[in-house]
Amino acid sequence: MNNTTIRTVVAMAGFTALMMTQVMTQAMASEHGAAVAAGKAPSTNVAWTADMVRFVANGDKDRGAKLSQDMFCASCHGNAGIAPSANWPSMAGQRAEYTFKMLKDYKDGKRMATNTSDPMVALSKMMSEHDMADLAQFYASFDLPALPKGVSFDAAQGEKVKPIIARGDGKRLVAPCQSCHSSDGSGAATDSPALAGQTPDYFVKTMQEYKNGTRHNDVYARMRLIAQALTDEEIVQMAQYYAGMTAK
Amino acid sequence: MSMIHIDPMEKRWLWAIGGMLAVFWGVQIYFAAAENMHPPSNVEATNSAKLHLEGEFAESNLGVKKQADGSYLVTMVAARYGFYPQEIEVPAHTPVKFRIASFDVLHGVHVPFSNMNTMVVPGYVSEVTTQFQSPGSFPMICNEYCGLGHDYMYSKIHVTAGKS
Amino acid sequence: MSITAEHAAGLAASNRPTATAVQAIGNKLGLWNMWVAFAALALGLPMGLFQAAERSGFFPGIENTAVYFASTSTHGVLLAFVLTTFFTMGWGYHAMAHSVNKKPFFGWTSFWVSLIGTVMAAIPLLTGYASVLYTFYPPEMAHPAFYLGATLLVVGSWFWVADMIIGFVQWKKENPGKPVPVIMFMFTMTALLWGWTSLGVASEAVFQLLPVAFGLSPTIDVGLARTLFSWTLHAIVYFWLMPAYIAMYMIVPKEAGGKLFSDEFARIAFVLLFIFSVPIGFHHLYVDPMQAAGWKLLHMFGTFMVSVPTFLTGFTVLASMEIAGRLRGGKGLFGWISALDWSNPFVLAGGLSLLMLTVGGWGGVLNASYTWDTTVHNTQWITGHFHLIFGGTTVIMYLAAAYWLWPKITGNQLFSRKMAVSQLWMYFVGMVILTLPWHMLGVYGQPRRVSTTDQYAAFPEFAQMWGLYEALMVVGAVLVVISGLMFVYNLLMTHFNKVQEADTRVIYASAIHEPMRLPGVLNSLAFWNWAMLAYMILSYGYPIVQFFFLEGHHTIPWGV
Repeated sequence: MNNTTIRTVVAMAGFTALMMTQVMTQAMASEHGAAVAAGKAPSTNVAWTADMVRFVANGDKDRGAKLSQDMFCASCHGNAGIAPSANWPSMAGQRAEYTFKMLKDYKDGKRMATNTSDPMVALSKMMSEHDMADLAQFYASFDLPALPKGVSFDAAQGEKVKPIIARGDGKRLVAPCQSCHSSDGSGAATDSPALAGQTPDYFVKTMQEYKNGTRHNDVYARMRLIAQALTDEEIVQMAQYYAGMTAK
Repeated sequence: MSMIHIDPMEKRWLWAIGGMLAVFWGVQIYFAAAENMHPPSNVEATNSAKLHLEGEFAESNLGVKKQADGSYLVTMVAARYGFYPQEIEVPAHTPVKFRIASFDVLHGVHVPFSNMNTMVVPGYVSEVTTQFQSPGSFPMICNEYCGLGHDYMYSKIHVTAGKS
Repeated sequence: MSITAEHAAGLAASNRPTATAVQAIGNKLGLWNMWVAFAALALGLPMGLFQAAERSGFFPGIENTAVYFASTSTHGVLLAFVLTTFFTMGWGYHAMAHSVNKKPFFGWTSFWVSLIGTVMAAIPLLTGYASVLYTFYPPEMAHPAFYLGATLLVVGSWFWVADMIIGFVQWKKENPGKPVPVIMFMFTMTALLWGWTSLGVASEAVFQLLPVAFGLSPTIDVGLARTLFSWTLHAIVYFWLMPAYIAMYMIVPKEAGGKLFSDEFARIAFVLLFIFSVPIGFHHLYVDPMQAAGWKLLHMFGTFMVSVPTFLTGFTVLASMEIAGRLRGGKGLFGWISALDWSNPFVLAGGLSLLMLTVGGWGGVLNASYTWDTTVHNTQWITGHFHLIFGGTTVIMYLAAAYWLWPKITGNQLFSRKMAVSQLWMYFVGMVILTLPWHMLGVYGQPRRVSTTDQYAAFPEFAQMWGLYEALMVVGAVLVVISGLMFVYNLLMTHFNKVQEADTRVIYASAIHEPMRLPGVLNSLAFWNWAMLAYMILSYGYPIVQFFFLEGHHTIPWGV
């Protein structure tokens, strides 16, 4: 076996392989794309492209602080993002992408008014997307919220639901809550919201709205499917669990 | 062959290796060329972040659709941590084409005991055509690490008996 | 015939020659690199046991998803990147010093750069900030220090690659027309292979991962990243396997009492390993959407070809052992097998490694099939396969090589030959019990990289199918960990052993027919570099360039 033989063999193998590749690649051309039925509008208009992520990241929290004063956000959401009562959600430490998306969904009519969020629809229509990004960064700049004064949680109830929080329920196709919302309840990229320290009443209200479909701005119905699989008791227990996460 | 020493037993072994290779290659070429059996490879780019806004992978377009030629088209999305729609039904012994896209990160999807097995790469559309041989209910399992919820990511496929 | 005390002393002294300056450098580089390698082994093995136990479901108290995936990632990096790179660098330096008597140009640079990289990556790995597995597939992103550390580990090894090539070329210049000592040829082909294949992951790191990790790029093309990684992902296992083959060719025949059956075929095996292991990475992408089937078919042909050097190696090593067996009086078709000295750890390791290579190797031939892969891709079959062929076949020869090298480098006798033999048996049995059930789990559809199996509660028949195999795997893992720790203990005790080793001469197996002259392709690097360039352009040219013309929308980074 000398140099020439080896080189010839390698070259011939290479040439044969090249020919085969051409044949196979052409044979593999498949028709791309498929017929699409004209369907309903999407659950949200927000799409996390790089531009959108950068846009929200560039929100100005100081301008957001001023906006929150001008628009009286504190009357429902508190000066530092801790709600004054259990009726409204705390916003402190909430992921900016999530806050932005909620505001945009309100403005686009993807998130509907309910008895307590009625003002949000009107308020969101007064905001530009810049405003939304600024407000989102303002609230994100706080630590996760403690519970409002006078609001308590039941630690024992919270413990009962820990198996689902940590390990989900495979039988019901429910993934662990913490796999999206983090083990410290601070949420995760890109728009999984922080849940730690949220008021229990608001938590339950939100999950019930997902359960009965009143709230439907979750893409591919992911939260609706989860909420529908959970019992009412489990939802209340989860509310206690997350409410207690920021307790000292 | 002049410069190196090759033992006669070694020469016989070389022939045996050549024979084995011929068998390996021959079988593969046969099934690829004559039976058109290939792994999923359709090279089609898409925008994963915008899947839900409109088009093929919009929320209202997901699911199982019977095609004019009797085959089935299944449109699905892989998104942390599930495959959507979460339950689908297809008949056995019928060509089924799956088109799946990822809404976020790398996923994989596999129905055990079948060759429905594909990576779902964000930015690309995956396409697998297969036939299920036996009726029953099976998991469609995510088999590529996609985060801390990967373990729990699966959906259900119900294969009904016979052609419909 | 009696010998005088002087004569005996003289013989003893000549069996313990003083190391030359070059050999002393090779010894020290060898020892330090290989100690890092085996420290990684000692740390990584128990993590594997934790994973097997955590996943089995029999120990609810330890179940924790975040810890599991941090462990999987760390275990993978320690055993697949750190153990292997440092072991090969260490022995490579040692072999260069003792076979061609060359001092490395860079030497300690490779050690320190790689070590700094390792530590830099270890910190996020151990603290849960890099749970992206040893394959670190984007767009899930770890802490930037992980990518930087991994890149440095690879870059450090490039200094070693350069050292081996420089030593090879220098020796050839000084010895025109002569065959390069075969161990140096094999190690240099290994280094050259690593240089060529690591370019894939290095490109992915430098052009894609690091820019995203440091916020310089807002998106990443996951299809391109996986393609670049596949460039490295197959040949890296040959980077791991080649030193194991070197041990089979250079240590086992002599220790068994025989000769190497063929020097030329050792070289032929290595050049075939070199050329056919890099341009075949698409068998890792068989079910990926972003590469056309034609390219996958092309890579498949090369994947079957790379079984050839393993078939050749199996033949040569078995034939070499048969020579030894027959020289020891073995008669009949199989009599030579029992005639071998199985209480010799090197013979034992060689035999056990070949057994595991047979099963793992055929598993690999199966996996090369373009269509078979659709039934097992990303199931536990794949994980079982590479634990058998890497953890089993390859690492057991690393252990054997260490048992051989430590006494020669330290001058101390191996602490316990008996412990080495029982350790090797326990490792083999453990590996078999660990990996064969693992293959079955894959056939039964269990996916890879899951920290639990109780999520499939909607399909209880699956958990029932899997339960027995999970239990067996825990037993196997326990045996592997105990034997691995026994190995490290034996090495440590050897290092500080007060008993001297009688024979510290570094003498490799010699061939029945030592070649006087060799064709250029079996004695030099130039042709193979050009061949690799051509084959890589064919196999990876269009598949990579296509990404720059596809109207793709790249992906934002995500967390774990």
